[in-house]
Amino acid sequence: MITVRDLHKMYGDQALFRGINLSIRKGEVVVCIGPSGSGKSTFLRCINGLEFFEKGEIDIDDIALHSINRIRPSKEDMETLRKIRLKVGMVFQQFNLFPHMTVLENIAEAPVKVLGMAKSGADELARSLLKRINLAGKVNNYPAELSGGEQQRVAIARALAMRPEAMLFDEPTSSLDPEMVGEVLSVIKDLVNEGLTTIIATHEMDFARDVAGRVVVFDQGEIVEIGSPDDIFTNPSADRTKLFLSRVLKR
Amino acid sequence: MRDGKHDDKGTPGDSLLQVLDPDCFFHILYPVVNSVMKKNTKIPVLLVAVMIVFCWMTTSRAAENSLEKIKKRGVLLWGADAEGGAPYVFPDPGDPSRLIGFEVDLADAIAKDLGVAARQSQNAWDSLVPALERGDFDMAMNGIEITPQRKERVLFSRPYYIYTEQLVVKSDESRIKDMKDLTGKKVGTLSGTAAQAMLEKMGGVDTRIYSGQVEPYEDLEIGRIDAVLLDLPIAAYYAKPNPKLKYAGGSEGEGFYGIAIRKDNEDLRAKVDEILSRLLKTGELKRIYEKWGLWDKTQEKLLGNTGGGGYVGLEESRKAPLYTFLPTLLKGAAATVVISAMSMALAVSLGLAIALLRIFASAPLRTLAVSYIELYRGTPLLIQLFILYYGLPNIGVSLNPLTAAVLGLGMNYAAYEAEIYRAGIDAVPKGQMEAALSLGMSRGLALRRVILPQGFRIALPAITNDFIALFKDSSLVSVIAMVELAKTYSMLAVSTLRFFELGLVVALLYFAMSYPLSLLARRLEAKLKGAGR
Ligand SMILES: Nc1ncnc2c1ncn2[C@@H]1O[C@H](COP(=O)(O)OP(=O)(O)O)[C@@H](O)[C@H]1O
Ligand SMILES: [Mg+2]
Repeated sequence: MITVRDLHKMYGDQALFRGINLSIRKGEVVVCIGPSGSGKSTFLRCINGLEFFEKGEIDIDDIALHSINRIRPSKEDMETLRKIRLKVGMVFQQFNLFPHMTVLENIAEAPVKVLGMAKSGADELARSLLKRINLAGKVNNYPAELSGGEQQRVAIARALAMRPEAMLFDEPTSSLDPEMVGEVLSVIKDLVNEGLTTIIATHEMDFARDVAGRVVVFDQGEIVEIGSPDDIFTNPSADRTKLFLSRVLKR
Repeated sequence: MRDGKHDDKGTPGDSLLQVLDPDCFFHILYPVVNSVMKKNTKIPVLLVAVMIVFCWMTTSRAAENSLEKIKKRGVLLWGADAEGGAPYVFPDPGDPSRLIGFEVDLADAIAKDLGVAARQSQNAWDSLVPALERGDFDMAMNGIEITPQRKERVLFSRPYYIYTEQLVVKSDESRIKDMKDLTGKKVGTLSGTAAQAMLEKMGGVDTRIYSGQVEPYEDLEIGRIDAVLLDLPIAAYYAKPNPKLKYAGGSEGEGFYGIAIRKDNEDLRAKVDEILSRLLKTGELKRIYEKWGLWDKTQEKLLGNTGGGGYVGLEESRKAPLYTFLPTLLKGAAATVVISAMSMALAVSLGLAIALLRIFASAPLRTLAVSYIELYRGTPLLIQLFILYYGLPNIGVSLNPLTAAVLGLGMNYAAYEAEIYRAGIDAVPKGQMEAALSLGMSRGLALRRVILPQGFRIALPAITNDFIALFKDSSLVSVIAMVELAKTYSMLAVSTLRFFELGLVVALLYFAMSYPLSLLARRLEAKLKGAGR
C-alpha cells in the first residue's frame, strides 16, 4: 500500500536520507526503532507530506508523491498532499489537540469541515469513538482538563474519525508519564488487531516486539536492518542494531 | 432644510450627525458585536466593505461654488472655529448646544439678506483658508485679518470690522504703560496674528506665541508673562472684565477683518459686499456690535456713527451650572464612540489582512505589508490625518471629516493591529498547523479554524489595550474639523474659561467609556483562559 523509493532528504546542506526504500503491504504493522535523531520522525512526516524531500518517490496506492517545491507548491501538489492525508492519519508525540475546542469538537471538526459530514453524524461518530477508548465522560471537556494519556487517546480518535486507510504514530507515548503509557499502547494494539495498516516509531521495545509484523531499524538516516521482531530482538545481524539494542534494553 | 434660527446652526457634534444618523450607528455596530459573539468571521469582512462604500458615499458634500448653488441649497455654509472663542463665535453659556457671537449675528444677517439659512461649519482657525479652498464651506468669517499674503489665496469682502491691538497687563503693573515699555519684556500673543507681526517688527521683545487666545491672559494673571497684545475684541471679552488685568495705553495699529471667499466665487464676493454696505447703512451692523460691546470710535471709520455699549457673556457663562454643558458634551461623546468603533472595525480587519499577507503571502506582497506597517508606525498620526484631510484635496480627492477621521485612525491602528496579530499567530505552536493539515484540512481552513482563534486569544489583551488607546487617540481627529468630545471640551472651555471643571467632567466621560471596555476585555480573557490550554 505504501512504497517509498530512493528517498533523499536534506536539512539545510546536511543530508539526512540518502536513498531510503521500504514497501508496506495493506494491513501490515511496521515498527521503526533506532536512536534519537536517526530519522524516524522525518520518515513518517515525509510519508504524510509534512516534510518535503528533494528526491525520490512515495506511492500510496495510486497516489504518487514526488519532490515538491516547498516555497510555492503548485495546486496539483497541494491536492496530492490532501489526498494522501485523507488516506493516512497521523498521531504526534505532543498530541497537538486543538486547545480552544472541546474533546467532541476536536474529533468532529475535520469530518464536518473536510469530509462534509453532517454535524449530527460527526458528533455521533465522535461519541462512539470516545466510548471505544473509554472517554465517553469527557465529551465536553477541553484538552487542558485531560491527562496526557487521555489527550493522546483523543488524538488517536480524532485521526480515526477521518476513516484513514493507514495510520502513522510518531512516538505516541514518549511525552507521557510512565503510568499512562499502557492505556495508549492498548488502544493502538486494538487498532492493529483490527487490521489497520500502521507505521509506528517508538522506543517501547516490548510493545514493538508484541505488535510488529516487521521491525525497521534506523540509524543516522539509514535503514540498517529490516526483519521480524524475533530476528531483530533475539538475533540482530547488523552491528549498529546490536549496539542500539544493548543500550536501550539495559535500562 | 430647517429654518435659519440660531438653534439650527452647526453646533458641536452636528457636523457628524449631518452625515451620520445615530440609528445608523447602531445598525453598523450591532452586527459586529453579534458576529464576534457568534464567532462568525464573514460578517466583519462584509461590514468593512459596506462601511468603506458608505464612507465614499458621504464624501461628496460641500464644494458648492456659486451664489446660485447657495440659494438652491437654502443654506449659507460659513467656516469658523468655535474654539477660537468669544466674542466671535462660541457656545452660548445659557445653552451650550448653540453658538453665539457677533460673527454669528453677522452671518445670520447676511444669510437673511440672501434669503437662506446660515450654518456654521466647525474648522480649526489655522486651517480655515485651506478648508475654504477645498470647498468645505462658502465663506470663512472668524476674525480673519486682511493681509497681502492671504489675498493671494482668497478673495476678501470689504472690511466688516476694524480691529486694533490692545495691550493688557496685570492691574498692579506699573512699569509697562504702553507699547514703548515692552523692550525686554515677555509678551504673549496669538500665532499668525497681526499682533504677532507687530511685536516682531518692534524688536527687542520676548514674544511668546500661543495657539489659543485664553492661555496668554491666564499666564499673564499668574505672572508667567508681563503683558499680552491681542485684537481689541478679544481683550474686551477676556481681559476687560477681569479685575486682575487692565488695559495699558490706548489701542494701537489698525487692520481689517474681512470675509474670505474662494477665488472663483467673484459673484458671491460682490453680493456679500453689497449686503455689508447695506448693513452699514441701515445701522444693523452697529446694532450687532453694540450688543457685543464692540462698538468704538474706530468703527466710525467703517461708516460714520457713534455709540457705546455694554458687554455680555463671560460672567454669565462662569456662573452657569455644570449640567447645562452636559447635553453638548454627551453629543461629543457619542461622536467619539462612533469614530472609535468605526475606526477599530477598520483597524481590526485591515490589520488582519496585513498580518496574513505578512506571514503567508509571496515575497512582493510581504514586502508591501511590511512597508505599510513600518510607514504607518514610523510617522505621526497627526501628520497622517493632515495629509488625508488637507493634503489629498491637492490631488483632487476630498474626504469629509468623518471619513478622513475613520480612515486616518483605522489605517494607522491597522499597522499596530497587524503586528499584534502576527505575534499572536506566531505564538501558536507549529504542531497545531501540522495536526490540522494531517487531518486533511487546507491551509486556509486550518488558519481559520485552528490558528486564528488561538492567535486571537493570545492577542486579545494587546488588542484591547489598542482599542483603549485608539479611543483616546480619537481626540486627535479634532484637528480635521471633526467635532468630538475633546473638541467640544476645548470649545466650551475656551469660551467659559472653566478648563478645570469641564476638564474633569470630560475626563470622567472618557473614563466612563473606556473602563467598561477594559472590564469586558478582562472578563473575556478570563473566560477564554478557562476554556482551554
Ligand atoms: N527542522 C529541522 N531542521 C534541521 N534539522 C532537523 C530538523 N528536524 C530534524 N532534523 C535533524 O534530522 C535528524 C533526524 O531527526 P528526526 O527525524 O526527528 O529523528 P528521530 O525521530 O529518529 O529522533 C536529526 O539529526 C535532527 O537534528
Ligand atoms: Mg522523533
